[in-house]
Amino acid sequence: MAAAAKEILTRRPVAATIRLTVPAGGARPAPPVGPALGQYRLNLMAFCKDFNARTQKYKPDTPMAVTITAFKDNSFEFTVKSPTVSWYIKKAAGVDKGSTRPGHLTVTTLSVRHVYEIAKVKQTDPFCQYMPLESICKSIIGTANSMGIKIVKDLE
Amino acid sequence: MLAWNFIKHFPCKNLSRHILRDRVRPLCFCTCSTPPSSFSISASLSYSSSSSSSCFTDESFTAPYLSVRIHCPKHVLDPFSEALLCFGASSVAVDEDIDEDAASGSSLASKEICIESVFPVHEEVKMCISQAANSIGLKEVPKFKVEMGDEQDWITKNQELFQPVEIAERLWIVPEWTSPPVTEAVNIILNPGFAFGTGEHPTTKLCLLLLQSLIKGGEAFLDYGTGSGILAIAAFKFGAASSVGIDIDPLAIKSTRHNAALNNIPLEKLELHLAPSENCSSGREIPLQKQQFDVVIANILLNPVMELADHILSFAKPGATIGISGILSEQLPNVIERYSPFLEDISVATIGDWVCMSGAKKGEFIDN
Repeated sequence: MAAAAKEILTRRPVAATIRLTVPAGGARPAPPVGPALGQYRLNLMAFCKDFNARTQKYKPDTPMAVTITAFKDNSFEFTVKSPTVSWYIKKAAGVDKGSTRPGHLTVTTLSVRHVYEIAKVKQTDPFCQYMPLESICKSIIGTANSMGIKIVKDLE
Repeated sequence: MLAWNFIKHFPCKNLSRHILRDRVRPLCFCTCSTPPSSFSISASLSYSSSSSSSCFTDESFTAPYLSVRIHCPKHVLDPFSEALLCFGASSVAVDEDIDEDAASGSSLASKEICIESVFPVHEEVKMCISQAANSIGLKEVPKFKVEMGDEQDWITKNQELFQPVEIAERLWIVPEWTSPPVTEAVNIILNPGFAFGTGEHPTTKLCLLLLQSLIKGGEAFLDYGTGSGILAIAAFKFGAASSVGIDIDPLAIKSTRHNAALNNIPLEKLELHLAPSENCSSGREIPLQKQQFDVVIANILLNPVMELADHILSFAKPGATIGISGILSEQLPNVIERYSPFLEDISVATIGDWVCMSGAKKGEFIDN
């Protein structure tokens, strides 16, 4: 309570918001982390050590979605989310990339069961916890369609 | 129309099994800010023998990348950023205005905002951007400009951040090109290459302070996960008789050698070993005698210190002090559980979210 109030009073000016995908436990100062954070003079090694420590519980190299808030004094905060929806979709569908012509060319199909499973995992993300599962499912289906992956009732 | 209605009983194909190690629910970390004291980053990764004298880097650091600036309508910034990452961007960054207060009626003359994005060099940028725009329903493909990324830009910026750091009274870490602020203090001179360990991180501080309290003179010290070599070098400065450093990263070994020279430590006194990583064939042991060291410190990460516990302990003499760090306080119970059968007098030091656990290795005769 007091901490939150204090934080608002001493809220630092934000320089930038950076989003990127980093393998769990595998952050290194090289690209893409290097250029993305280095531009804003953020301490690369501190980020890597911190990120790697906080993602120890995930399977190594799982791509995690990271959002970094860089403050003007070169300090930063970050949040780590479970892999992006498109990563799950690709993994469930067993494909490497989406379709080159989504809407015209379907690469593969997934069942609603997959959508449900993915939604359940994404619901554990912060910012998603209070979203109804149905909304999350809709969003996943939208992403899948834009990748040229069709959702069907059952895979037979 | 949603699938919702069709969902019946599903066999438990738990997707989270694919990403979690131990069936733990994924949590999110709103976290840590680093103190403003700027610092140069050290990171080492290199197989290349051509490292410049001032910076140890690797092909992967100087790997080319594409720097793309995209003009995005403000109202779709978030979904568009996410979509870009899905379709091939490595990173997406947005500069913020200082004034976030809506009350101030900040004049938003422009309805567009600039996204700075990094793409892998082989990526089809135009395709990604148009797919991303398409996926969120944008009618027009946003304007964008592609440039070759300049690694010197960010590498140099980070080099500039390095300032002398005071760890404790009369203990400083000083970059190679700066003269020590306090000449009479114990000054550890470092080149901020890209190996971990520049003194600024809480875990390095914790380990340095622990080391300072333990080394009285004449000890044999093992730095497991040596990084830049900062602990191995510090041990010498405190009076240790010998230091050995182990790391899985060849560049860390190189960085440590360079830093040892900066501190006038002869190469024969600082033994360095490259530990086998997972990619190497197992069976190749580190050529070190067991039960040889009076002090052993491992500042790595949770998983390695758990997996290598027996290994790390094996190098310590009975009664030697073992220090383990690189651990978050929430990870501490796991580490204590793993190490407590072998250590007594366990104590824990904390800075922020980070901890360092230390204890004395039990003798040969362990009570059953």
